[in-house]
Amino acid sequence: MGYVYLLPMIFSAAGAILCLIRSTYFEEVISVISAFATVVVAGAAIFFPNFSNGFLYVDGLSKIMLIMISVIYASTVIFSTTYMKYIEDPLFEKNFYYLLMNLFAFTMFFTVSVNNLGLMWVGVEATTVTSALLVATENNEMAIEATWRYIIIVSSGLIISLLSNVFIYSATHTLSFSMLMSMKITNADKILTLGSMMAVVGYGTKAGIFPMHTWLPDVHGKAPAPVSAIFSGVLLPVALYVIARILQVVPVESVRNFSFALGFLTVLVAATLMVVQKHYKRLFAYSTMENMGMALIGLSLGEYAFIGAIVLLISHAFAKSSAFFLTGNVLARYKTHKIDDVKGISKRMPFTAYTLMFSSMAVTGTPPFGTFIGELMIVYGVLSKFPLFYTLTLAAFLILAFISLNFKIGKMIFSESDGGKMERKRVGRIVPMVNTSLAFLVVFLIPQIQEILSKGMIR
Amino acid sequence: MEKFFTFIGFFEILLVLFMQWEVYTKKIITTFSIASYTIAIFLFYLGITENKYLVIILALLTAGVRGFFIPWFMKKRLIRDPWREREIKPTISTALSILISLSVVIFAYVLYRITFYNSIGLVDGSIPIALILQGAFLIISRRNAFIQLVGYMMMENAIFLFEGFLFPTLPFIVEAGVILDLIGITAISGIVVKMMKNSTTDSNESDELKG
Repeated sequence: MGYVYLLPMIFSAAGAILCLIRSTYFEEVISVISAFATVVVAGAAIFFPNFSNGFLYVDGLSKIMLIMISVIYASTVIFSTTYMKYIEDPLFEKNFYYLLMNLFAFTMFFTVSVNNLGLMWVGVEATTVTSALLVATENNEMAIEATWRYIIIVSSGLIISLLSNVFIYSATHTLSFSMLMSMKITNADKILTLGSMMAVVGYGTKAGIFPMHTWLPDVHGKAPAPVSAIFSGVLLPVALYVIARILQVVPVESVRNFSFALGFLTVLVAATLMVVQKHYKRLFAYSTMENMGMALIGLSLGEYAFIGAIVLLISHAFAKSSAFFLTGNVLARYKTHKIDDVKGISKRMPFTAYTLMFSSMAVTGTPPFGTFIGELMIVYGVLSKFPLFYTLTLAAFLILAFISLNFKIGKMIFSESDGGKMERKRVGRIVPMVNTSLAFLVVFLIPQIQEILSKGMIR
Repeated sequence: MEKFFTFIGFFEILLVLFMQWEVYTKKIITTFSIASYTIAIFLFYLGITENKYLVIILALLTAGVRGFFIPWFMKKRLIRDPWREREIKPTISTALSILISLSVVIFAYVLYRITFYNSIGLVDGSIPIALILQGAFLIISRRNAFIQLVGYMMMENAIFLFEGFLFPTLPFIVEAGVILDLIGITAISGIVVKMMKNSTTDSNESDELKG
């Protein structure tokens, strides 16, 4: 049975290896086939029972992560096939780009499938190794500088989580997730509590959680659009997945409150910084940070808020990947990152403009998108566990983020422009439209998501 | 064994203090190599005395990867970019750096005594904490990408020393994975550093990486 859950890793690794063959369009075709094969397997996995052995641990949460990663991986690969031609002087050959992209997907599949906190760390760190050069694809000084910041800040942050593994091991004498689950820890000693808190900070670095978030806007701002999309859509949630696992095995109040505080501060800081952003990709990067903060709040509160966090992460993955794809379309045509220099998208690129408008609304939690339902469940969780003041503060900053992002993007879309039409054709338009639609369709799948999380499969 | 751990730990602290005060990149890399070999010797001795062959393999991996391969790889890159050989403008002056790095050692001791000591019980457990903080300080205080990378690897070395001594039964696959990742990080960093035309300060002034 376990081999089914190995298939996403096998397909993505095979795709990476086959990219070494140099032949025109071969790397694109093989990457698309590999990515779609992972979508099929991940989709089928929800009808299989949970599985655990010495190496793998796949339950409902892992299955949802597998679906998220595979869908965003597939849409990113498809979008890349048209986007890569807009990069004038890429850092490497096209086949190396797809090789890294497939390896990057492999490391994420690995992280969400393994049954060991130590190997999860190895997986998360491996995502840095495989994705760092993707950030520098555009081969300019600022992209390279952003790549360096990414490597050094994220790796240093992950050192904290490596140390946390040592502490968790010292307290429990195992790093096996299934064994930790079977211990049913209710009272953690000082060292286990500290270890768990350090894990939240360490993996929080990768998830863009305050105060270790500083790499995130630089990388999202300077990476090519498909790379920003896959980072925002699934890389950050993969890091949050490990935090969710830590909170599952050490469900003590102090660790949960600590995670809540970090998530809360992340929303406050991100929403405030969104007000002053002048570059649209950085604006979306801070929006990602705000959403990750909300998801961490949900994960820390548990119960309905936990389901809300998962709904938010799924819907956000689709909506934000779409938003980043569309910023790529805008950048390819307008050749600028500055909000003030982009005018009249609705007249010049109508399809891009309206999809961008809907995806912007989706990432800021506007109804009827899944993000709205997810945020509503999280806010309800906050209201039921904390004084009203917390809910009001959180709501105020969510509204601030909503206004900041939609006002600035709205200005880009609906301002006057003299230029003629310059819409991108086919794939560049269709992929974001599909992802934005999926961000809405998530709403109808909430009962199934709940069933997968509670029972591990759909019967 | 605890005395040997203390001796190795203090030696590591001396080496990292030397790194804080040194401005020549090549010397810092060589010092890192010595620090890694020292940890490898410690792990090897631990493996022999405790009769744990996986710890011996780990010691050999540490010597091969951290002691030899990574410093060799970095020095090879350094020969290609001779202008990187000296840190021209460190973020913090050398005098202040000495003061801060000594304070960090004291801070680590106090932090350890009031937090972890009661749970771990190891008298000199503050040494790895001091080394981690020193590694972090090296990253903050320098602009040279190679030295920042050494700072990161010193942090990892500290954890290896700590877990090697306290938990030699920690799954080998995890430790091997950590070493494998380190090779990857170093290789990728080598490529990125090669692409950087100047020190990181030039790009810090960029408008697009602000806010």
